[in-house]
Amino acid sequence: MEQSFLDYYSLEPLTRWLHDALCGVMPEGWAVFLESLLLGVVILLAYAVLAVVLIYMERRVCGAFQCRIGPNRVGGKGGLLQVPADVLKILTKEIIRLKNSDHVLYELAPYLVILASVISFSCLPWNKGMEAIDMQVGIFFVLAASSIGIIGILLAGWSSNSKYTAIGAVRSGAMLVSYELSLGITVLTVVILSGTMSISGIVESQADGWNIFKGHIITLVAFVIYLISGNAEANRGPFDLAEAEQELTAGYHTEYSGMHFGFFYLAEYLNLFITSGIATTLFLGGWMPLHVAGLDGFNAAMDYIPGIVWFLGKTFFVVFLLMWIRWTYPRLRIDQVLNLEWKYLMPLSLLLMLVMAVLKVCGLVF
Amino acid sequence: MNSFTKYVKRYWRSTKSLWVGLRTSMKVFLRKKVTEEYPENRHTTLHIPERHRAMLEMVHEADNHHHCIACGLCQMACPNGTIRVVSEMKEDAEGKKKRVLVRYEYDLGSCVFCQLCVNACPHDAIRFTNEFENAVFEREKLHLVLNREGSTLAPPAEKKTNPVKA
Amino acid sequence: MIQQVTEKIKQWCPQAEVETAGETVVSVPADKLEDVCRKLHDDTDEPMDYMRDLVGVDHGEGVLGVYYLLESTRTGGRVMLRAEAKGGEENPLLPSVCRIWKTAEIKEREAFDFFGIRFTGHPDMRRLFLREDWKGYPLRKDYDMDSNPLELTSEVNADVTEEFNLRPDGTLERRENVVFNPDDFVVNIGPQHPSTHGALRMRTSLEGETVKHIDPVLGYIHRGIEKMNESLTYPQTLAFTDRLDYLSAHQNRHALCMCIEQAAGIEVTERVQYIRTIMDELQRIASHLLFYSCLVMDMGALTPFFYGFREREMILDIFEETTGGRLIQNYNVIGGVQADIHPTFVQKVKEFTKHMREIIHEYHEIFTGSVIARNRLKQMGLLSREDAISLATTGGTGRASGWANDVRKHHPYALYDKVDFKEIVYTHGDSWDRYMVRMDEILESCAIIDQLIDNIPEGEFRVKVKPVLKLPEGVFTASVESSRGEFGVFLVSRGDKSPYRLHYRSTGLPLVHAMDTVCRGNKIADLIAIGGTLDFVIPDIDR
Repeated sequence: MEQSFLDYYSLEPLTRWLHDALCGVMPEGWAVFLESLLLGVVILLAYAVLAVVLIYMERRVCGAFQCRIGPNRVGGKGGLLQVPADVLKILTKEIIRLKNSDHVLYELAPYLVILASVISFSCLPWNKGMEAIDMQVGIFFVLAASSIGIIGILLAGWSSNSKYTAIGAVRSGAMLVSYELSLGITVLTVVILSGTMSISGIVESQADGWNIFKGHIITLVAFVIYLISGNAEANRGPFDLAEAEQELTAGYHTEYSGMHFGFFYLAEYLNLFITSGIATTLFLGGWMPLHVAGLDGFNAAMDYIPGIVWFLGKTFFVVFLLMWIRWTYPRLRIDQVLNLEWKYLMPLSLLLMLVMAVLKVCGLVF
Repeated sequence: MNSFTKYVKRYWRSTKSLWVGLRTSMKVFLRKKVTEEYPENRHTTLHIPERHRAMLEMVHEADNHHHCIACGLCQMACPNGTIRVVSEMKEDAEGKKKRVLVRYEYDLGSCVFCQLCVNACPHDAIRFTNEFENAVFEREKLHLVLNREGSTLAPPAEKKTNPVKA
Repeated sequence: MIQQVTEKIKQWCPQAEVETAGETVVSVPADKLEDVCRKLHDDTDEPMDYMRDLVGVDHGEGVLGVYYLLESTRTGGRVMLRAEAKGGEENPLLPSVCRIWKTAEIKEREAFDFFGIRFTGHPDMRRLFLREDWKGYPLRKDYDMDSNPLELTSEVNADVTEEFNLRPDGTLERRENVVFNPDDFVVNIGPQHPSTHGALRMRTSLEGETVKHIDPVLGYIHRGIEKMNESLTYPQTLAFTDRLDYLSAHQNRHALCMCIEQAAGIEVTERVQYIRTIMDELQRIASHLLFYSCLVMDMGALTPFFYGFREREMILDIFEETTGGRLIQNYNVIGGVQADIHPTFVQKVKEFTKHMREIIHEYHEIFTGSVIARNRLKQMGLLSREDAISLATTGGTGRASGWANDVRKHHPYALYDKVDFKEIVYTHGDSWDRYMVRMDEILESCAIIDQLIDNIPEGEFRVKVKPVLKLPEGVFTASVESSRGEFGVFLVSRGDKSPYRLHYRSTGLPLVHAMDTVCRGNKIADLIAIGGTLDFVIPDIDR
């Protein structure tokens, strides 16, 4: 398959040139250090910008689902400056120290949550040659890193020394541990199909067709299961039991204020983006353009669109799907959440993985 | 086996019910929104019914005449002590002593809009208007005086009908 | 019918006296009260198994009395008992009837709170609405209004409560009952909580996620409306009915107007009856739509919440056009209504009922049909028919348990005996049935409105009433089916221009009282959903 344009948009030459240039003026160690620093700044910037975009999107989408307009005042007709204004507001708010909380853990918790989210975020394949962290076991690393967040949630709930937060934390603990399973198994299904755990490898393997089309109906079902458990992992409705506003006021972050709360809030939205990004990578071909076999002109035209646009477009599509789900259903109860996982999703995803393995061994997949 | 078919059926039914929900919410998503953009639509689509009770008002005629004879029935009818009628005895040209309104004080902040004062008024001197933008920054500003500066009681011939009672 | 009952009581207790000023009241001596009540409750022909209300009254000169309003769910027959507390003002005592009717548990606490009457044998003699350190009993006539200055310290809730029993020799035995043990995991749901629909506080002890016991702490928005009424003229008392259960504003006011009109012998015109009935039903739809909205929101579905509000807004617009108010309409007045219906009223109401029928499927598609909602509501929060009657949970809650208790059907007022409508009754008594009762009632109310809206007769919208209204001496009651149960008015008149005692039967108080029975053993998430389906409004409870 011809891939000239995809290569054209690749960032690899640029990064290589930068590396060489830096190595020319300083020892390689320093160069790598400087590059990492630069990369970190870029990632954090992208993280912050995306959070603003996502929150704005959530508000508009949710408004439209609820027969209303959504933010429409701050910053002109569209309310574009609403979220930045909210960020400014939250930055000026006092961070309250609770008298009877465990101070160290209480203050550590939001950072752990945001740390997990930033690490997973930096693994996303934005474009050809634009994966910040690309390892042999990349997808495994993402799963591992994203589970750090749960420690933050548990700590937040426990160290606040409040009954509401404790219940919220225990709930989210029980839920995340369960959903990690079907999430992992669906990821494994794709890994079997692609034959690699490296994120860039999984994307490359979809050059001849996205996984969702390649794996018969199995990957389609796996995609749905992934969305459900990813939604649960991100603690979003209808799985937002840990926060459960109507029951636990705000669940595990009831006692947080100011930017500490802001971190939880940011992480929630970025986790949504990461979940969608990984779904895009695994099932929708990452930054690969849409190709239809036989339509060469169409395929070539699709290639003109840069990979990053493809990636963001698909990811935001998945984000929209998740928002659609969130703004439709009532919240589940804790035992129903666990039932759904252990009785329905887990067996089904195990079955899918088994069938996928058999198909792969027999060479029955595309 | 039976329980397994049940399990599968339940799987299917649940999925379908969830899909119906998604479909409905998407229908509403694409529909025109129902909310109004309030301050912007002040002069266009905003409709406040005529009978809406937002503030008590004393009816003033063109030549600064009101109809209040300071009888104090409204003050007595009020369950909340919202109205205070300050009056004084004055002698008119023929030397008869007559009660005359000095100040008609009304506390918008404690009014419950029950309309008992309007019902009690024998001369339809007061009414409720639908001007609802009454928010102020200080509570004192809600203490209003309803009779205008220099206004006097309308001469008897003038008070004929009630343009007020809905 | 009432004569049969009074004769029976006379048989059981020859000292009983029948008073017929206003409505018939049978006066029973305190030491025979429990016996008479028990016999009335267990009667084979006409068991008085539903206690509508229990009202304390200070008769003056140190005599404190309690009125018991009873009804038979089998025949619909009603009777009113009166008992005077023994022991004078210092230590008024009455036997408790809470073992006969469970609802007396909370009603007797109310009487204790306001009048200081101790009910012997009641397991929980704590104050209900006022602070535990409150001095005096405010609804007594000699209560000093300055005896309780504003208290800014935090109120400490005791974990133990008192029970008093009468020893045979006439002395009191005090016993302590435990509400919560020190090692109970007690969570405060409220008073500031997203799902208590106002300032209600439920002290809830949990076992993991499972609810063990609920102790409602009421009175956070107690405004003393009943006390205020005693110094207001009759037209002025109307101003506060809309502020009790604000989602049943029309119906509440309808009840009070009916009671006063009946006492004063005022006939309202046919046109007024039509208008009042239509308004009541519109109010019911508006309230049930809000019920839907709040229930789905309590269960975490925020989108359907707006569906309910979307249609409710149309009703509020109709209200505003005619009455000038959206939530607090001030529409019913003694002798009629405040203003004639707006020229557009008929057409708009017709448009609305048509629209409501066409759009209600959206409510069902997004929520009712959803497997999540079904699983969360079905078989949750069971309330048996016996419990529902004993706890006096009227309205949709009772009807979901199979107790046909619609006042419109069984004691028709206004035009309800002329229109054709079904009484929605379900049998399981779970959250799901409580929800479905209300959803079906929306359509039923639409049907009632459709039967009336085209036939509103010409006529006066208000008859002339004397400016200073004085009611004859006696006891008067009226009850209507408000949006969430039987709303009752209990009026004692001594011939003045203001009532001697005016009490409202709160629709929500029995519902809150039932929370403990209904929620025990369910999950905390269900507690919220059950609270949503019981559908109480706090200002109505606290009054």
